[in-house]
Amino acid sequence: MEEKILLVEDEEGLRLFYQQELEDEGYHVLIAKNGKEAIQRLEQEKPDLIILDIVMPVMDGIEALGRIVGKERKIPIILNTSYPDYRQEFMSWAADAYVTKSDDLTELKTKIRNLLEKGKTP
Amino acid sequence: MKKVLAMVLAGGRGERLYPLTRDRAKPAVPFGAVYRIIDFTLSNCLNSDIRRIYVLTQYKSISLHRHIQFGWNILSAPLGEFVEVIPAQQRVDEHWYQGTADAIFQNIYTLQEERPDLVLILSGDHIYKMDYRKMIAFHMEEEADLTVATIRMDRRLSGSFGVMEIGGDGRIIGFQEKPEEPKVLPGDPEGIMASMGIYVFTTETLVRRLIEDARSGSSHDFGKDIIPSMIGEDRVFAFDFRQGDRGGTGYWRDVGTIEAYYEANMDLISVTPQLNLYDFTWPILTYQLPHPPAKTVWLEEGRVGTALNSIISHGCIISGGNVRRSILSPNVRVHSYAEVEDSILLEGVDVGRHSKIKRTIIDKDVQIPEGTKIGYNLDEDAKRFTLTDSGIVVVPKWIRL
Repeated sequence: MEEKILLVEDEEGLRLFYQQELEDEGYHVLIAKNGKEAIQRLEQEKPDLIILDIVMPVMDGIEALGRIVGKERKIPIILNTSYPDYRQEFMSWAADAYVTKSDDLTELKTKIRNLLEKGKTP
Repeated sequence: MKKVLAMVLAGGRGERLYPLTRDRAKPAVPFGAVYRIIDFTLSNCLNSDIRRIYVLTQYKSISLHRHIQFGWNILSAPLGEFVEVIPAQQRVDEHWYQGTADAIFQNIYTLQEERPDLVLILSGDHIYKMDYRKMIAFHMEEEADLTVATIRMDRRLSGSFGVMEIGGDGRIIGFQEKPEEPKVLPGDPEGIMASMGIYVFTTETLVRRLIEDARSGSSHDFGKDIIPSMIGEDRVFAFDFRQGDRGGTGYWRDVGTIEAYYEANMDLISVTPQLNLYDFTWPILTYQLPHPPAKTVWLEEGRVGTALNSIISHGCIISGGNVRRSILSPNVRVHSYAEVEDSILLEGVDVGRHSKIKRTIIDKDVQIPEGTKIGYNLDEDAKRFTLTDSGIVVVPKWIRL
């Protein structure tokens, strides 16, 4: 079965780029433009993994992360950001993986695969 | 000196203290005539030089909030000192606090802003005098991730406590939450080491463990979940209360029931109470209005205002009545020919002429009409008031008699 990824990213160009790349990998990609939209989507759908940008309007990724971890305990979350300082935020420690944004998605894709594999082993 | 932040858990409902907790959270319940239960924990903090204190509340917090706002606004904000109430904000999650650990986790943004080196987690429910500095020094000496304050208790009480098994080096090697069959102390088969619900955490460990716990399906409780998960993985140590006990008598009470509340209050009127309120090197602070001094009036045949073996707060007038072995909060009136025995009268209670009160707790502002008898016919009392198994009557606030 196709694995579902919820991609939370405010910048349209990047969103399309990630979406294309992830679909090429065979994933089904759900989209949210900010943290609030992500939480709303999670009420209807259960993705297998979440990729979360941090700096976004309406609701940022750290705030959304806090709300998501209490509710959706099992879904792995990758924080995907251009800013390395986020690790100062205690709540960022709740993520399962961290990726610094880059044009090369190798690292992101590896982390996605690892986390999804890990979820399958009981 | 490490930067220490105290977080006082004050959300306890105290259901077994009903009706004293009908209108207030347990930490706000009056104790010892002029105090509230939480005053002991907050005073311990100040006396231990801990001046950055958050009080986490959720249920019925107005009374507590008011007490802290009026009575504890004594620190210096420009120096970075504060006693501040944080009501449940539902920022992280849209529910009430699920357990003690969840209460701290939901305030993770507050921890973030303070960024202390150590977090001292306390309960606002207990009465004791303790120097937390001793525990913090111990924590640092042992390079612990978590230090739990412990007290020896009778094994019969194991069903009410987290029971610890302690290795020779002081490390906690086993933890049972409210066990029927507890691990007893080596060489003391009637004793257990109980957790007092007082924790010193290294902040980073605390945050990591809280997050891990939030992402698990646990009950989000320090005793049930966090401590057991840390034993064997982190450096978890026990700190014996006797090393930090400022009273020197081992006094520590969880006044969780009306009986326990009554006994703990009554201990204060003994000649040498276990809890010494007169040690001015360890003052217990509270909020008090400037009431006039207590007085007794009338000294004539058959009408003498007296108070014997009792605590009488300011503002009280014993006007031709008799008070014995009782505790009177501020502004209590006992009118002529009335008798009050073995009772606790909270602020503003007015006992009318010829009334007789025995083994009764009367909550704030209750007016006892002339000629009323309470505590003499328990079957009758039980129809109107709360009556405990041991025969203590509790008259609730607001009641009209």
